[in-house]
Amino acid sequence: MRSRQKELLELLDKSGADLYALLTRLTLREDIAEELMQELFIKLNNSRGTGNAANLHAYARKSAINLAFDWRRSQKRMVPTTGRFSEPVSTEDSPLRKLIHTEELTETLDAVGRLKKSSREVLVMHYLQQESYDNIAEQLGKTSHQVRALCSRAIRNLRDVLGSNEHKSSKKEIHNVANR
Amino acid sequence: MSQIDENQIHDRLKRLSEVEPGKQASGRAMQRVRDTLIADEGRRVGLARPSLIGRLMKLAAAAVLMIGAGYIAGRLSAPEPVNVQELQVALESSLKSSLEPAIRQELLSQMDERWQAALAASNARVKNELTRQVRRDLMEFAAQTLAASGTRTDQRLMELIELIDAVRLQDRQRMAAAFDYIESRFGGGLVTLAARTDELLGSERAVPAPAVSEN
Repeated sequence: MRSRQKELLELLDKSGADLYALLTRLTLREDIAEELMQELFIKLNNSRGTGNAANLHAYARKSAINLAFDWRRSQKRMVPTTGRFSEPVSTEDSPLRKLIHTEELTETLDAVGRLKKSSREVLVMHYLQQESYDNIAEQLGKTSHQVRALCSRAIRNLRDVLGSNEHKSSKKEIHNVANR
Repeated sequence: MSQIDENQIHDRLKRLSEVEPGKQASGRAMQRVRDTLIADEGRRVGLARPSLIGRLMKLAAAAVLMIGAGYIAGRLSAPEPVNVQELQVALESSLKSSLEPAIRQELLSQMDERWQAALAASNARVKNELTRQVRRDLMEFAAQTLAASGTRTDQRLMELIELIDAVRLQDRQRMAAAFDYIESRFGGGLVTLAARTDELLGSERAVPAPAVSEN
């Protein structure tokens, strides 16, 4: 068996579940995560860069994040939105509430996809994968302070992107009401 | 400018971090990747067959040995010395006749095998791709249908609530009109009836009660 394939099988045993969970979080769909997982390992198997990568796990995670956000970009949102609710209808986990939650998570992920690659990676590692600043710094070859600053900037940018989305949608709603 | 605060963003990111795939789905995905990697390795090993040149070399060596043996046998059994020119021609023709069909046959079989392997691989890939595409489209369609039907249901419920409100309002208005009508129609009569009843009760109170004997 070739050494690369052996390495990939070891990676699969060691970090496969983590990578699959990451893909599920970024796509919010298990079937797509499964497809992307297979695509990721085929790419790693055929890629020449894999052999040079010092940390195969970090390389695989970076590729997984890129694959997931590429998939998000390729998806055109044809599903009609359900509108916005200023107050929750009920505090229980009703289907409507779940739908709103899913919509919010999708909106957040789309906004994360619009950030710079470095900010996006750090944000995903810290907030979605719950990795510490020190651990991220070690993996990315940066200092802990730099990672902390990147995270802070990423959150600020995310807030701006989400804020501008809200602003646009509320303007649209006002326009719609005025036209009625 | 921003209508969403950092707490909300942190809350959403926390919810995202809590998304966990099912163990079964995770195991299935890993097994699928493992199968793909192993199948790919098997395909690579299967393609690494002995080279054409090596096989031809063996064939040529066998032919040379046979010719050599024939030559020696001929030389020993021949009464006269053999002409070198004739021998060269004979060797050439013998080599040609023995090697050419074998090489051709070998080449053809090699080409066939390669074509078959390539076709089988591409066929499996196309089938796999088609299955993935169909599954993806079906999931997409299901998600869209679910979202659309949810929206429609909400709309219908809102319409129903509005309709019930309108009917209730209409009902109240009718009741109010009916009371007004009763008041306008029988209001005077009711006042007279009350006055007469009052008078009657007054006259009854004025008449002393009859003495009740014990017998």
